[in-house]
Amino acid sequence: MQKITLLIVLIALTAMPVLAQETKLSGEFWGRWTLENGKVPADSTDALLKNYLALDRGYLGFETKFSESTKARFTVDMFSTDLLEDGAGLKLKYGYVDFANLTPVPDLTLSAGLQKVYFGTIYDWTYALIGKAPSDEYKITNSADYGITANGYIPNGMGEYAFGIYNGKGYKKFGKNLKDNTKFSYLANLRLTPVPGITIGGSFMSNSVEREKSLTTNAVNDKYQDQTLIDALARFAYGPVDLWAEYLIKDVKHADAFASKDYSAKGLMIMPSINLKDITGYDVQILARYDSWDESERTDSSKNKLTAITGGVNYNFMHDEHMNPKMNLQLNVTSKTHDEDNSAAAYMNGLKDVMQVMMQLKWRFANTLN
Amino acid sequence: MKKYLIILLAIMAILPVFAQKTITCSGSTTVLPIAQAAAEAFMDKYPSVNVSVRGGGSGVGIAALQNGTIQIANSSRMIKSKELSQAKSKGINPTGYAIANDGIAVIVHKNNPVTDLTVKQIQDIYTGKIKNWNQLGGTNLPIVVISRDVASGTFEVFNEKALKGAKVDASAQMLASNNAIVNTVNTTPGAIGYVGLGYVSSDVKIVSVNKIMPSARTVKDASYSLSRKLYMYTNGKATGNIAQFLGFIQGAEGQKIVENQGFIPLN
Repeated sequence: MQKITLLIVLIALTAMPVLAQETKLSGEFWGRWTLENGKVPADSTDALLKNYLALDRGYLGFETKFSESTKARFTVDMFSTDLLEDGAGLKLKYGYVDFANLTPVPDLTLSAGLQKVYFGTIYDWTYALIGKAPSDEYKITNSADYGITANGYIPNGMGEYAFGIYNGKGYKKFGKNLKDNTKFSYLANLRLTPVPGITIGGSFMSNSVEREKSLTTNAVNDKYQDQTLIDALARFAYGPVDLWAEYLIKDVKHADAFASKDYSAKGLMIMPSINLKDITGYDVQILARYDSWDESERTDSSKNKLTAITGGVNYNFMHDEHMNPKMNLQLNVTSKTHDEDNSAAAYMNGLKDVMQVMMQLKWRFANTLN
Repeated sequence: MKKYLIILLAIMAILPVFAQKTITCSGSTTVLPIAQAAAEAFMDKYPSVNVSVRGGGSGVGIAALQNGTIQIANSSRMIKSKELSQAKSKGINPTGYAIANDGIAVIVHKNNPVTDLTVKQIQDIYTGKIKNWNQLGGTNLPIVVISRDVASGTFEVFNEKALKGAKVDASAQMLASNNAIVNTVNTTPGAIGYVGLGYVSSDVKIVSVNKIMPSARTVKDASYSLSRKLYMYTNGKATGNIAQFLGFIQGAEGQKIVENQGFIPLN
């Protein structure tokens, strides 16, 4: 099956340059060393939990321009996994078409297909630190999903916006998981930059998980959820200093029969960074990140309250013509602690307090084929 | 503690004054000859200031300004909303200064008898609908379409004003500079290309567009369909040596350089 998928992908990639005016090939890969030390539930002393080198995944992307106002993007997520016989898998991460200038609204693009989810910081997260965007890390929403969006920029550089309808299941789900979908997910996102360097914004998304009732027995589904997702963000950028702050709320309501399982989770992320290029002559960044994620209202084994603090250094080198680095060497040290009083059965849910060191070399390329 | 903080802030405030002794600019290859000539004249006049000029294309220059790696982005088109929004969110405030007028000249081989094209005919040539000069009253000669690459501001203005956003035919040669276009058109009898006025030489022939030739008058009053302004963008209102350099280009001496380089002065 994997070989057939790979063959189809290769044929599609080979044919695209013939059909399109201009095709860009891009890729992004990262190899990582992970060292993790922490307490396990069975042993209160620190133990070495992980120490390994891996190249878990990479992205291969094609962007084809059919005209100045119509372009399509196609990105394959290649990942290693023990769950498949070949030890590796392929998934479509993106596959969408952008139609610009279809409407009288200036700078409005209509996008259709498997595309970014314009929620919070997830859609333009640059992985300045190795960790994911909070809404991705805490499974608040998916980074990509099937949908139709209207997205664009406000004149005079005042900001950006997006409105969309998605499946709400994410790019990793298909088959039964996807076909049980009965309600679309609705999204609104707005970011305003009233003065250069200061950005404020927010996102709202309504989503549902699974069917409310079984089609065959009419029994109420205890896994059915109506989710309301809210994000507020602020960014301050001045010279070499860049500060992001994001506050997230995930409100979950179950079917009436299971209302006792309803909960509201909240999180905060603050991420300051400073670029030392002007001082050192090298594109070096020093970064920090504080996360809190509170799911203590949950009544199941996922109940937890997490605090994570990360410090990191990036060395960016081999810049392209746009001065974006083709390579990053990243070193992160993260401390994750869970509040025992708010964790299910004091860590028996498998959540561990850990100290993690990660070093990663990430490389990316982008070339125009014709 | 407060004393150290004040000293540190004072050093940080003073540092930019020294840093501005070198002005770095890059971007549009159309603006490049004006920027280079102006830089040389400016450095002759103000020897303590070094002006470094590079090409790359308008998009490259604006991206470099966004990333804070240059002080002036040269552009042969206006900055886009997306670029402006991205820049402002990073704390960069692109501020445009018009430095010259320009007309995008449509050029053909000097032996080509065709003297005028309509915007619709240009569109049909570049989208592959018209393939032979005999369809336009010329000789029986296949048309060789030459275009600028997509990083070029000239391409974007030409695409907007002449092609109305239509796709350039896949057979077109996409070249990275105005000089390359002039050289290719000069050596290819069936070729058609487009360049900023400053790059036109006697080796090629300009055709009028909708019966109007690009000239100082027709570009300034915008009766020539493919007229535009050339810009330099800075982060915020220019100050210090950068303001002095921009003032020099916009002033009498700089505008004389604009004219000498084959472009059209602002006034």
